[in-house]
Amino acid sequence: MSDKKNFFYKGLLMVSAAGLLAACGNEGDIPGTDGTADNGGDTNGNGGREEVNLSIMQGKVEFNSQFNDLAQMYMDENPNVNIEITSVGGGTDYFTQLTTRFGAGDEPAIFSVAGPNEMEQMSEYMADLSDTDAAEAALEGMLDSVTQDDGSVSALPYNLEGYGYIYNKEVFDAAGIDAEAISTYEDLEEAVQTIDSQLDDLGIRAVFALPGAEGWVMGDHLANVYLTTEFNEDVMEAYQAETLTFENGDEFQRMLDLQAEYSITPILSLDYSQQVEEYFSLGQVAMIQQGNWVYPTLEQMDPEFAENGVGMIPIPLEGHEGKLPVGIPNYWAVNSNNDDATVQAAKDFLDWMYLSDEGKEFVINEFNFIPAYEGYEDMEIGDPLSQVVYDYSQSGDTLGWVFNGYPTGFTNNEFGPNLQAYLGGEMTWDEMIENSIQAWESLQ
Amino acid sequence: MKNKELSFWLFITPVLLSLAIVVLIPGVMGLFYSFTDWNGLTFNNFIGLEHYRRIFQDTQFGRSLLFTFVFALVCIVALNVIGLGLALLVTSKLKSRNILRTIFFMPNLIGGLILGFIWQFIFIRVFSNLGTLIGVEALMGWLSTPATGFWGLVILTVWQQAGYIMIIYIAYLQGIPKELLESADIDGATPGQKFRHIIFPLLAPGFTVSMFLTLSSSFKIYDQNLSLTGGGPYNSTQMVAMNIVDTAFSSNQMAYGQSKAVIFFIIVATFSLSQVYFNKKREVDL
Repeated sequence: MSDKKNFFYKGLLMVSAAGLLAACGNEGDIPGTDGTADNGGDTNGNGGREEVNLSIMQGKVEFNSQFNDLAQMYMDENPNVNIEITSVGGGTDYFTQLTTRFGAGDEPAIFSVAGPNEMEQMSEYMADLSDTDAAEAALEGMLDSVTQDDGSVSALPYNLEGYGYIYNKEVFDAAGIDAEAISTYEDLEEAVQTIDSQLDDLGIRAVFALPGAEGWVMGDHLANVYLTTEFNEDVMEAYQAETLTFENGDEFQRMLDLQAEYSITPILSLDYSQQVEEYFSLGQVAMIQQGNWVYPTLEQMDPEFAENGVGMIPIPLEGHEGKLPVGIPNYWAVNSNNDDATVQAAKDFLDWMYLSDEGKEFVINEFNFIPAYEGYEDMEIGDPLSQVVYDYSQSGDTLGWVFNGYPTGFTNNEFGPNLQAYLGGEMTWDEMIENSIQAWESLQ
Repeated sequence: MKNKELSFWLFITPVLLSLAIVVLIPGVMGLFYSFTDWNGLTFNNFIGLEHYRRIFQDTQFGRSLLFTFVFALVCIVALNVIGLGLALLVTSKLKSRNILRTIFFMPNLIGGLILGFIWQFIFIRVFSNLGTLIGVEALMGWLSTPATGFWGLVILTVWQQAGYIMIIYIAYLQGIPKELLESADIDGATPGQKFRHIIFPLLAPGFTVSMFLTLSSSFKIYDQNLSLTGGGPYNSTQMVAMNIVDTAFSSNQMAYGQSKAVIFFIIVATFSLSQVYFNKKREVDL
């Protein structure tokens, strides 16, 4: 009996000891890192500038290696700055890991945020960037959704991205269609039917490849065209909206049906890589609904085709024909929870990246970014798809992105699956709309 | 006596410590957070049973739960039948039995995530090409419907784990005393009779172990689910583990996801433990 009791107390002791140990470990870490930074500063004689560690955490893995090259260049120029980059892939994973790092006290000096929701969650850590040169140089309207009521700017745009129908020029020429002349839905439908009637002659398998497995292609991008006007093309308005109405729902359905009907089948297991790599880049379909971000992939598969064989046209929306959806996928934020020197160093780095000559060169040619800043007017945009997006943004013929303002998880867990259920015949269109509206309201 | 106690604690402490750090403490914290509005970093309010009330109205969670139950049921039966079959095969007098053992066990050495992608390729590409070639409609469009998604998952899981279950059965088969089988032979028992009346009852402890393993692993599957179907089409093949991860991380409802995890834990624990209890009763002592 007493043995058992003994056992219990000892066990309890162990458990609390373990807790204590874990706590010690946590606190011990932070002074440790500070210590090394200070030591470095003493030994470094470079102009008396103190050594700064900039840890960067960001969610765009595609340009990770180029970004590291750029950081290396910056470190060579500024030996007192030490940059360490962590890139984490794909939307949801990134933000989870970011919050985990903040939770563990291992906070990066610069991090990326993707939409109003992420910004709101991180708002207490985001330093005011309105005094940076980059904020000064940002193009008209680029800072709208990150400018607070008091005039402070909480984040800086990475770049611009845009999407539409990316088409195979050769196929369109052979079918005798001038893609650039397509503006209304009726034009598009006619073109699709023309191509469909001569699939064998053109040597392709279908007109479209609709990746039904990817909820975001339909739920974020395609739906955005038909939802953006009900939020006045303003992502913040979408973010704050209690509900949505699908006022252009019929047009949305018509377009989704068109893509589905003339797509490679089965749609629901077709994913992004099949769509872009297998079907489009190998010339098996005439067009796909994607954005300029597919360019590096196309280039890897077939540089010649990527360089000369592809174009992009807008997705028609009645009353807004000829407008391309262009938006800012990611923003840089500087962690305010650091000493002033680190915050300043972080701002300097961002300014240098977007405004110095070396930085600009890299941004355009290595990152393949479409700049959201002034000072790039004389430079040649890296690739033809980005050129299209840049041209549309210059002429102002754009539709705003609102999908970053969807409630968290809306596309992944509700809207996307509902659209898939519609395509799979599991739901009618009206049920899809009704379910999605309910989901929006409950998530909001 | 003192000495003995010291060595007792010396040996048990590392285990107890790691168990506490990775299971007990997080478990208690998780239970605690499920009653709050925790967002992954901080919490402001206790909201009591609010999350648990919500779970009962969550249709997707219900669907995932049902799917997981059916999946687990099919997998448990298939895994045990096939695992035992393989074990009988490789303990027979086949010449190639040693190499066969290795081959059957091999899939278990590949990670679930990679297996998922490999099988995705097989189901989507190989199956459809094969289907076109020999004109079998049923081989086309795999993973694009709920039914094919379900069977895809079953095939993947069985293929991966049957070898492991086979190893367990081999161990128990080899533990059956030879003299019992020999005397049955002398008495003129057919192979069928031997299996039904001698091997099968004596394998009962093996069943307990295998059932426990297959039950808990089929319930908790996540990586295979993620890489093979990703829950699609339209979340119809989303299992409970994935539903929880999606709720917590992609919808960022940490506390709500945590509550689902608590419910899930209770369900799996109940099934596993009662299964062990009933199977233990069936076991016979020699």
